[in-house]
Amino acid sequence: MSLKEVFEKNPNRRYIMFGGKGGLGKTTFSAATAYWLASQGKKVLVFSVDPQASLTDIFQKDIFGKGAVPIMQNLWAQEIDADSHIKAYQNEIRKKILDMYGFDAVPEEIEDYIQAASAEPAMEESAIFDAVVDIVVKGDYDYYIYDLVPLGHALYYLSMAKVYDEWINKITKLREEMREYETMVSKIKRQKETDEDKILTELQYIKGRINASSSILTDKEKTAFFFVVVPEEMIILDTQKAAELFAKFDVPIAGYVVNRVLPPELRTQTVPAYLQNRLQMQSAYIDKIHTTLGNQVLGMVPEMERDVTGLAMIEKLAKIMYG
Amino acid sequence: MPDETPKQAKRGGLGGLLDNFKEVMYGMAAHDMSRYAIRTRASMEHLFILITMGDLIGVPILPPYYSLRLLPYVVPNIATWKRRMLREKDVSDAMF
Repeated sequence: MSLKEVFEKNPNRRYIMFGGKGGLGKTTFSAATAYWLASQGKKVLVFSVDPQASLTDIFQKDIFGKGAVPIMQNLWAQEIDADSHIKAYQNEIRKKILDMYGFDAVPEEIEDYIQAASAEPAMEESAIFDAVVDIVVKGDYDYYIYDLVPLGHALYYLSMAKVYDEWINKITKLREEMREYETMVSKIKRQKETDEDKILTELQYIKGRINASSSILTDKEKTAFFFVVVPEEMIILDTQKAAELFAKFDVPIAGYVVNRVLPPELRTQTVPAYLQNRLQMQSAYIDKIHTTLGNQVLGMVPEMERDVTGLAMIEKLAKIMYG
Repeated sequence: MPDETPKQAKRGGLGGLLDNFKEVMYGMAAHDMSRYAIRTRASMEHLFILITMGDLIGVPILPPYYSLRLLPYVVPNIATWKRRMLREKDVSDAMF
């Protein structure tokens, strides 16, 4: 099956992800896929969850932290500015404290905590995770294309939903038990009502957001995860390992796309020994990819004559990928 | 009260007696129980703050991104919580 057929046969898919080791072409494939879908008349948002995003470079347009920026008809791109997201979030918390207690300033130790929390290493990823929930729950687009972080980080991103989910479940349970004690006391004292537990309400809100995100990541009908591989031994081995790990997180793996394949016509030409060796090596690994992955291989994308940046090159690549 | 009907006044009188009786019964039977429940609830509140805001007393617990959302609600309890967490324990704690 080709990539195009995969999209045509699964019209309900809305969330498309390209994953793989660093530098293999995730951003390039995300951009080309977004371009193709947009040219088919679908409203598409391609966005990056990578703190070191490169959509700005590929579209040759400064989109960092500017929300969804129009690229062409039907196509928008977005790079999340984690830092300003964190700052806005901190300010929201400060304002809430000031409003709730009528303080003129946030007490020092509370302010220290807010500051320390933002220095926490996972803060940036968590902020992006949270921002993505905002993006996808709005449902303004026909397709959301996630330009993912490299494999290790992507696993961290996926596991974050699970870790948060378990954390929230535990503390929600504790909070509910506390609620039972409160209800018991008011029954004994024959009070009619107990105050609403705002923390419990807040926890349920957080839980809803995490569930929204993790249900997308594991939705077999609406989500497709494509692995990008190149015909090299280490990449193939690492991708296989990663695929097993992703499967454990119930990520629906839709197939593999092979990138940077040297054009076969080179074989018939007189080429230097260095290139001959590369050709032979690739040919062996392409065979291996076909044997191990079989019909899960959805496309072979050749090494382009130059790097893919700018709409003209993206269009060229989209034509190769989707015909 | 001028607009109070005699029936209400009568109920008020009886009701007052009944209320006093209820208070006595509550004191005898349920006061300790509710005091215990309130104390348990307070301990759980402190445990909750420790789990979510442990960092405030130097216990690094879990990514605090979503903990920040809960911070405004625990602000009034932080001082008592810190005092309780950081105080030294002695044998009299077990007795009272």
